[in-house]
Amino acid sequence: MYRAFWGLVKKEFIQVFRDINMLRLIFAVPIIQLLLFGYVVNLDVKKIRLDVYDFDHTQLSRDFIASAKAGDYFLPDPATTPIFELSQRFQSFSSDMALIIPHGFSDKLSTNNRIKIGLVADGTDANQTSIGSGYLARIVQQYASRVTGYKSPVDLRFQVLYNPEAESVYFMVPGIVATLLTMITIMLTSMAIVREREGGTLEQLLVTPMSSRTLLFGKLFPFAVLGLIEMILALVFGTLWFKIPFAGSPVLLFSLSGLYLLTTLGLGLFISTVTSTQQQAMFFAWFFSVFAIMTSGFFAPIANMPQWMQYVTCINPMRYFLVIVRSIMMKGSGFMELLPQVYALIAFGVILFSFAVLRFHKRTA
Amino acid sequence: MRKIKFIALKEFYHILRDPRSLMIVIVMPIMMTFLYGYAINLDIKQVVISVIDNDQTLASHDLQDAFFKSKYFVRPAEEVSELDPDRLLKESGATAVLVIKPGFSEALKRGDKFSLGMIVDGSDNTLSAAVQNYANVIVNRFMLDRLPPGIKLPGIEISRQVLYNPDLKSPNFFVPGLVAIILLMISALLTSITIAREKETGTMEQLLTTPVTPFQILSGKVLPYVAIAFLDGILVLLLARFMFRVPFEGSYLLLLGFGFIYIATSLSLGILISSLVKTQQVAMMFALITTLLPSVMLTGFVFPIRNMPIFLQALTHIVPARYFVTIIRGILLKGAGLHILAIQGVYLLILMGIIMLIASKTFKTRVG
Repeated sequence: MYRAFWGLVKKEFIQVFRDINMLRLIFAVPIIQLLLFGYVVNLDVKKIRLDVYDFDHTQLSRDFIASAKAGDYFLPDPATTPIFELSQRFQSFSSDMALIIPHGFSDKLSTNNRIKIGLVADGTDANQTSIGSGYLARIVQQYASRVTGYKSPVDLRFQVLYNPEAESVYFMVPGIVATLLTMITIMLTSMAIVREREGGTLEQLLVTPMSSRTLLFGKLFPFAVLGLIEMILALVFGTLWFKIPFAGSPVLLFSLSGLYLLTTLGLGLFISTVTSTQQQAMFFAWFFSVFAIMTSGFFAPIANMPQWMQYVTCINPMRYFLVIVRSIMMKGSGFMELLPQVYALIAFGVILFSFAVLRFHKRTA
Repeated sequence: MRKIKFIALKEFYHILRDPRSLMIVIVMPIMMTFLYGYAINLDIKQVVISVIDNDQTLASHDLQDAFFKSKYFVRPAEEVSELDPDRLLKESGATAVLVIKPGFSEALKRGDKFSLGMIVDGSDNTLSAAVQNYANVIVNRFMLDRLPPGIKLPGIEISRQVLYNPDLKSPNFFVPGLVAIILLMISALLTSITIAREKETGTMEQLLTTPVTPFQILSGKVLPYVAIAFLDGILVLLLARFMFRVPFEGSYLLLLGFGFIYIATSLSLGILISSLVKTQQVAMMFALITTLLPSVMLTGFVFPIRNMPIFLQALTHIVPARYFVTIIRGILLKGAGLHILAIQGVYLLILMGIIMLIASKTFKTRVG
C-alpha cells in the first residue's frame, strides 16, 4: 500500500521535473504573474489629467490652480484647445477632466461673494470621476479657508492601522498569493489526472494491484506539495521584492493554506471527473478560477457589489482564504480571530473533497 | 477553397460534438460579462464605521447623524466597547471607528480647539483613502453650518457636468472592454490549443501528407474560431446593451471594421504560439502568459495604465488589446469617429502586420 503510494508519487514528480516546459510553467509563470500583478493591480485614482481654462488670469486664480497640484491627484495643464473642442479631447482619451475658472473669480473671492467654478468630466471611468470630484471638493474647501485665514477649530485626526503608508502593493500581494495557489493547484490537478485518462494510462494504472484510493492520493499528494512550494516561493519572493512587512505567524498561514488545499484539490479532482480531454479540463479550471478570483474581493470590496452578488460570494471558498491571508500578513491576526473563516474552509474542504472522491471512485470502479 | 471548407467543417464537428467545450464557449463570455459588470464596483458606499461617543451630547449626536445620513457610512450590526484600537477594529468588523472625546459640545460652544479622532483600517489603501476623504468632507460641512457669528467664508461652488456616462455606472466602463478580452481568448487561446492538439496526437503529420497545403490546413482550422469569436463578441455586446444598458453612441460599421483587424491580429498570435510549442498544456500556459494576462492587465481594461511603472507603461504599447479597448470604448460610449480613432487603428494595423509576418515565417519553417 505505502510502497505503491510512494512509487506513484515518485513517478509523478519525475514526470513533472523531466519536462523543462512544465518546470518553467510551475516556477517561472507564478513569478511573472506575481511581478506583473504586483506592479499593475493598483486602483489608486491619481494623476488625473486636468485641462484648465482660466478666464480670470489673476494671481488668485493661479494660486488656486497651483493648489490643485497638491497630493499628486491632478495634473493641471493650461488648456491649449478652445473649450468647444473639449468633447474631442475626451473622445481621443487625451484628457480626463476640465476645470473652468470664470472671469471675476478673484473679485468675488476678495468680496466674499458666491462663486461658481465649472468642472467638466469624462464620465467613462465612473470611479475616477466620482473620486476625482471628491478630491476637488476637498481642495476647494481647503483653499477657501486658506484665503480667508479662518481655520475651523475642530479637526479630524486619523490614526491609520496596518497599512499607514497606503501602499497598494501591500494589500495586493497577499491577494496574489491566494490567487496563485488557487489557480495553479486547480489547473495542475485536473489536467494531470485527465492527461492519464486521455492517454489511456489511467486504465493501465487501474489494472495494477494498487487500490483506487492509493491511486487517488498518490496523484493528489505531489500537487499538494507543489502547491505549497509555489506558495512559499511566491511569499518569499513577493515579500522580499516588494519589501512587504509580514505581521503575523508564517506557520499559521502555512497550516491554513494546507487546509485550503483540501478545497482546491477537491475542485481539481471534481473537474477531472467531468471532463475527458485536457482542453476541457483547462477550460473548466479556468472557469472556476476566474469565478473564484472575481468574487473573492481581490479586485474590489465585496461590500460594493449588489446584494444578490454578495450572497453569491458566500459560496466562494477563496473569499474566506483571502481574508485569512490578508489578515495574517497585514494585521497579524491569530487563529481565534480567524475562526469563522477556518470553519468555512473546513466545511467547503470536507464537502468538496469527499464529493469529488466519490465521483472519482464511481468513474473508475 | 473546397479543401479549406472540409477542414473547417471537420473542425466544426470537433467543437459541436463536444458539448462541454461548446458550453464553455457560450457560458464563459456570459459569466465573465456578469462578473465584470457586477463584481468590479469601486464606488464606495455603505462602509461600516462604529462610533465611540464619550461626549453623549446633542452636538455629538448631531455629528453622528451627519455621518450616517450620508450614503457612505452605516453602523455595524453591534457596537463593541474596547479601548485598544487594534482589537477594536478586529472585533467590531468595522472599517473605521469615529472617536468623540468628552468636551466636544463645550468646545463647539466656546470655539475652542478640539480634535476628533478616527481610527482607520488601512489595509485596503483605496478604501481607506476614500473613507478619510468623505469623513473630512462631512466634518467640514458640519463645522460650516456652525460658523461663529461675524465670520463669512467665500462659497466656492463646483458645478459639475459629466459628459458620457453621466450616471457614472461602472459597467459602462468595464463591459465594453470585455469584448476585447473575449475575442482574444477565443481566437488566440483556442486556436493555439487546437493546432497544438493535432501536433500532439500526430494528426498534423497525417494532414500534411494529404494534398492539402499547410496554408489551407491553417485557414480551415481557424475559420470556425473566427465564427465563434464573432458570435461571442455579439453575445457580450447584446448583454451589454440589454442587461447593463450600456449606450451605443457610435457606428457599428466602424466597430466591425476594427473588430476584423483585431481578430486577425489575435489569430496570428494564436498561430505563432502553436508553431512554437508541441503540447496542448504548454500551448495553453504560453497563450495565457503572452496573450490573456497582458490583455487583462496591461490595457487599461481594469487597471489604469498611468499607475504602472514606466517600463510596464512602455510594454503596454505592444499589446494589441490596448488599442482595441480604447477603440471600443471610444465608439460605444463616446461616439468617436474614424478621424479620432485613426491613430489607435494605425498602431493596431502595424502590430497586426508584424505579428502576421513572424507567424507565417515560423509556421512555414516549423510545420510546412
